[in-house]
Amino acid sequence: MDNAASLPMTQVKEPPRGDSQNPAIPIHQASDTSMASIITDAFTQDHHACDHRLAAAEACVGRGDWSDIGTAAEALVSAMNRHFDAEEQTLFPRLAEIYRVAANPIEVMLSEHAQMRVLFEDLTEAVGRQDRDTCLGILETLHFLTQQHNSKEECVLYPMADGALKTQAGEIADLLAHG
Amino acid sequence: MLNTGGLSLDQAPPIRVPFAFFLAAPLFAILAGGFLLWQGNLALLTRWSPAALAVTHLIALGFLTQVMCGALFQMLPVLAGARVAAVTRVAPLVQGCLVTGTLSLSGGLYWGGALWLVVGAVLLSCALLIFIGAAGLALARARGVPRTLQAMRLALLALLMTLLLGGLLVAVLLGAPIGGFTHWVDLHLGWGLLGWVGMLVMGVGYQVVPMFHVTPAYPPWLTRAAAPLVFAGLLVATGLTLTGSAVPAAWGFGVSVSGLVLFAVVTLILQRRRERPRLDVTLIYWWTAMLAALAAALVWALDGRVEPIGVLLLIGVGIGLPSGMLLKIMPFLSWFHLQHRQVTTRRFDVRLPYMQVFIPERLARIQFGVFLGALLVTVAAAGWPVSGWGAWLARLGGLGLVVSSVLLWWLQAGCVWRYREISRRLG
Repeated sequence: MDNAASLPMTQVKEPPRGDSQNPAIPIHQASDTSMASIITDAFTQDHHACDHRLAAAEACVGRGDWSDIGTAAEALVSAMNRHFDAEEQTLFPRLAEIYRVAANPIEVMLSEHAQMRVLFEDLTEAVGRQDRDTCLGILETLHFLTQQHNSKEECVLYPMADGALKTQAGEIADLLAHG
Repeated sequence: MLNTGGLSLDQAPPIRVPFAFFLAAPLFAILAGGFLLWQGNLALLTRWSPAALAVTHLIALGFLTQVMCGALFQMLPVLAGARVAAVTRVAPLVQGCLVTGTLSLSGGLYWGGALWLVVGAVLLSCALLIFIGAAGLALARARGVPRTLQAMRLALLALLMTLLLGGLLVAVLLGAPIGGFTHWVDLHLGWGLLGWVGMLVMGVGYQVVPMFHVTPAYPPWLTRAAAPLVFAGLLVATGLTLTGSAVPAAWGFGVSVSGLVLFAVVTLILQRRRERPRLDVTLIYWWTAMLAALAAALVWALDGRVEPIGVLLLIGVGIGLPSGMLLKIMPFLSWFHLQHRQVTTRRFDVRLPYMQVFIPERLARIQFGVFLGALLVTVAAAGWPVSGWGAWLARLGGLGLVVSSVLLWWLQAGCVWRYREISRRLG
C-alpha cells in the first residue's frame, strides 16, 4: 500500500467561508499581515469561489435539469482550470526558483491537479450521458479531493509564497482577478 | 524568517495504519450491545452496576478512543508537517495495548477480579501514554489553524487527566484508603466525556463542518472561547473537589457543559446554512450527535437521571459521530490511495470507482436507521428502567446496537475488500 493520502478531516485549514480572519501564517512570520497575505488571501478566496461552483453544480444535478447541469459543470471546470493555470504557470515556478525546499510540496500539488483533471474529464462524459448517479459520485469525490488539497496549499504553500514573493504578490494575485 | 523544516505534504501513514483502528472499533460496540442484550436493564438501572461500568468502558475506550487514535495517527503528520516517528511500529503497539487493556479492564469491572483490573490499568496506561506522547509531540510542533490545534491540545490534556483519575479509581477499587470515591468518579467522567470527547469533537468540527458540507465558518468568538471554557470548567471542578470546597463541583461542570452547548447549537445553525444540498448520512449522524449532546445537557440541567445522559453521550455522540465520519473518510482514503497508485503504476486501463461505490449510501442509510432506533430505545430504557417494559426495551436497544455495529463493520469491511481488489488489479 502506498502512503500518499491524507484525510480531509485531518487537514489544517482556515474555515472556508464568510470569515474575515486572516488565515494562520505559520511559516512566514511577518509583522504586517495584511501585506504578507496577499497571495494567501487571493488564492484562498478563489478556492472558495470554486467551492461555491461545485455546490451549485451538485444542486443542479439534484434538481435534474440537464441544461443547467451542463452549464454549471462547465463553469466549475473552467474556474478550476483557470486557478490551476495561475498556480502552474506563474506561482509555483516562481516560488520554486526562490525556495528549492518547495519542490516536494509543489510536486504533490501538481499530482493532485492531475487527479482532479481526470475527474473533470469523467464529469464532462457523465454529463454528456446524463448519468445522474455517476455525476453525483464524481462531484462528491472531487469535493473531498479539492478540500484536502486546498488545505495544504492554504496552510503551507501560499504563506510560503507570500514570504518569498513579496514584491510580485500583487501581480500574481491579479492573475485570478483578471484571469 | 522562514521555517521550512519538515515541509513535505506526502507524509501520511500507510492506509493500513488508520484502517486497523477503524475496523477493530465496531467489534467493541458489538460487545457493548451484547452486554445490554444479555444484562437487560441491569446495565441501565444505575451507573454503578458492573454491567454499566463494563459497557461504558467498552464504548469509551474500545470504540471511541480507538477510532480517535486511528484518525489522529492519520492526521498528526499532516498537522505537524512531519512524520510520526516509527508510526508503523508505534500504532500497532498502541492498538494492541488499547484492545487488550480495554477487554481486561471491562472484564475486571464486571467480574470484579483484581488481577484483571490491574492488568487493564497497566495496559491502558501504556497505550494512552504512548499515544499522548506521540500526539502531544506532534501537536506541540504543529502549524495550522490555531483554534483547532488549541482544542486538540486541550483534549489530549483531558485524556491524560482521565487516565490519571482512572488509575486512582482502580487503586481505590483495590483497597487504597482514599475518600470521596463518587467525586473522583464524577471528575473522571467529566474529563473523559466533556474534556477528551467534547473538545476533540470541537477541534475536528472546526475543520470538517465547513469543509464537508460547505457551511459558513464557525464564528471567531466561538472558536476562541468554547474549548477554553470547557477546560476551565473542568479545572474549577477539579479544584473544588481537591479542596473539599462547600461549593459543589457541578458549578465547574456547568461551565464546561455551556461551552459544549454553544458548540452544538452553532454547529446545527451552520449546517442549516450549508451550500451543498445533499443530505448524506454523515450529515445526519452529525445532527443526531449534536441533538443527543443537547438532550444530555438538558437532562443534566433539569437534574434528571444520569443513566440516560450516559446513553446519549456514549451512544449518541461517542458511537454516532465517529460512525458518520468513518462512512465518509474510509471511502475517500481508499479512492485517494488507489488514484495515487494508478498514477504511479500508469495502469489507466483499470477503471476506478468513485467514493460512493466503496460504501453505498443506501446501505449506510439503513445502518443509520438501525443505529437511531437503538439509540432511542436505549435512552427510553435508561430513562424509565423500572417500568414493565424496561427490561425488554434495554434488550431491544442492545440488540439494535449489535445489529447496527455489525452493519457498520460490514460496510467498512466491504470498503477494504473493494480497495484491496482494485489495488491487486493495479499491480
